[in-house]
Amino acid sequence: MNDLPAAPDTDNGALLSVRGVDVGYRTGRRTHVTAVRDISFDLHPGQSMALVGESGCGKTTLGLGLLRLLPRTGVVPRGQILFRRKDGTRVDVRTLEREKLRRFRWNEAAMVFQGAMNAFNPVLRIEEHFLDTFRAHERAGRRRPRKEILERSAQLLETVRLDPARVLKSFPHELSGGMRQRSLIALALALEPQLLILDEPTTALDILTQRSIVERLAELREELRFSMVFITHDLGLAAELADRVGTMYAGRLIETGTTRDIFYRSRHPYTSALINSVPPVVGDLHVPESLPGGPPSLNALPPGCSFEPRCAHAQEVCASERPVLQVLRRRDAGLSHTAACFRCTDAELHAEGASRD
Amino acid sequence: MATEIAASPPPPDTGDTRAAAPRRTSPLLKRLWRNYVFVKVRKAFVVVFVVANVTFFLGRAMPGDPIDVMAGRLTQGGMSMDEARAIAIHSLAYDPDAPLLRQWWEFIVGLFTLDLGDTINRPGFSVTDAIGAYLPWTLFSIGVGTLIAIAVGLAFGMIMAYRRNQVLDHVLSVLASVLGAIPNYLIAMVLVVGGGMYLGWFNPIELRGTLSPGVRPGFSLTFIGDAFYHAALPVFTYVLAIIGTWMLVMKASTTEVLGEDYVTVARARGLRDGRIATAYVGRNAVLPLVAQIAISFGTLVGGAIFVEQVLVYKGVGGLLLDAVNYRDYPLLQGLLIIITSCVVIANLVADLLYSRLDPRIRK
Repeated sequence: MNDLPAAPDTDNGALLSVRGVDVGYRTGRRTHVTAVRDISFDLHPGQSMALVGESGCGKTTLGLGLLRLLPRTGVVPRGQILFRRKDGTRVDVRTLEREKLRRFRWNEAAMVFQGAMNAFNPVLRIEEHFLDTFRAHERAGRRRPRKEILERSAQLLETVRLDPARVLKSFPHELSGGMRQRSLIALALALEPQLLILDEPTTALDILTQRSIVERLAELREELRFSMVFITHDLGLAAELADRVGTMYAGRLIETGTTRDIFYRSRHPYTSALINSVPPVVGDLHVPESLPGGPPSLNALPPGCSFEPRCAHAQEVCASERPVLQVLRRRDAGLSHTAACFRCTDAELHAEGASRD
Repeated sequence: MATEIAASPPPPDTGDTRAAAPRRTSPLLKRLWRNYVFVKVRKAFVVVFVVANVTFFLGRAMPGDPIDVMAGRLTQGGMSMDEARAIAIHSLAYDPDAPLLRQWWEFIVGLFTLDLGDTINRPGFSVTDAIGAYLPWTLFSIGVGTLIAIAVGLAFGMIMAYRRNQVLDHVLSVLASVLGAIPNYLIAMVLVVGGGMYLGWFNPIELRGTLSPGVRPGFSLTFIGDAFYHAALPVFTYVLAIIGTWMLVMKASTTEVLGEDYVTVARARGLRDGRIATAYVGRNAVLPLVAQIAISFGTLVGGAIFVEQVLVYKGVGGLLLDAVNYRDYPLLQGLLIIITSCVVIANLVADLLYSRLDPRIRK
């Protein structure tokens, strides 16, 4: 379907290899909407990838789809989600059977959710959440003593700078939003997963709490060497925590590259528009440009480029044919700069951006 | 009620001990007065007292008094009105000329000394005795019925929510709606006529009453078995009467909880399905329904009058009907006070249970 280099599922050392994945929702007895289309990327160990885009572009759906955590109506009808487990074997998460999937979750890949306000069961203490999590992943016949689990939980809470003595005994409603989010991060690290999927982890928090959580996350990634997939609206956050970025629009990845590629040499007009809509913290203050309109309805995608109706640089071909991702700069370990735009190599369009590097 | 307490702000990040200090010094009595349980009990007493007064006046607002009713019966036998009245006054423990205010005062004094007085129509029988002989059977049958209906209804409701929009859910939903719409006495009739007479599954005549002849109350297997045997029809009626509502309410509640973030997070954490269904989904889905246990119980006590008549079960229903028909004021008051108390106590238990189950309400 696309021009990505490593199309066959050869083992290229990636932790996560996503190949041509669609994610859809049943909307009625026979109707169906595809929210995420034909996603392919490789995530190598230790990498942190940000997924950016407007609301409704399929970022969260993709994140949930990677762990098959979609609501009842959600399905992953197509593609492969290859994951290299801790023991070195590779599994396709998309076809993993029930009990194996259960053991896979959290142990190999954990997820920190958008609005952790409700991530904890309101009738259970935080310590019971830790106990439940550890117990669910115990091997049969090897029951860890309660005391041991609680000691480990206390250590985990300390790594996110919380007071375990107080937090473990608390009910979720007794903690502030920031404390809950930290607790969830501690819980996510409990089984030392190789991959952490973070879905807008700081959205509902004040700026100082955001700051400290982001800093702590960056430190923990250094220490524990997990990989991250980072879903965010906040481009500043993406620039800080990610070493590569993927832009999503109308359910597709339309540009991928290193953080530098995306922020200084973006080749897709949508990515540029996203970046230009945020005032820069350093450098000349330009007037932020807003991007009028919104993403197209997933039921009625235009035949050509999904972004064509809103694109300032659209040409005739854009309305009739759909551009595929083309490699602009080839790099190893999934870090190639790719963009799905007919004009991505158009010199006159990108003259300014190139000089800024 | 309970939300007042829930609305208090969560404790701050750092345990500020200084702010909490002045509250601790408040006198013991004041703290007791504000105690959650005590507040609830206080309110319960007020409710019972108000209902007691209402029943007192409502009973006497009905046309005719016990003397009139009895005299009326006697005159049908050909007696003259004056003669009939004289006999009625003589044989009944009721003075029709006593001023209302004095009757009320005696009633209130009796209430506070836990003396409900004597029945009018059964001279020598105190109201307490009469109620004591019948009420346990009603409470027993309704209690068992409510428990079964709730347990089965909750389980079915959860299954329906987990399989919503599938065949099983559609079938059970229709069944639940139909059951919920049929009045309980009609269910009782259908059971007796259909199950007992046409299908011959049981002998409705033999099932009448609360105990078989010759069985004495006591702690024996014969007695317990026989009590359940005779209570089977009323219990089954009550179960069918309220189970539909419980199924539908539980389905709605479970469906809502299934959409909560913490359920998705629990799945992401790789918890076993059984653990998620009980501790995460079930427990949170049941919480808002706890208060309805008492409502269910109250509705059933009201409906018991009809059901017990239809099934000829010697519970409090027949007694209440007699009390109304013969204008037996003390008995009527006593019955309504006791029944109200039962419902209020059920409410109280549900409230306290709720505060135990939901840490956000707990103080």
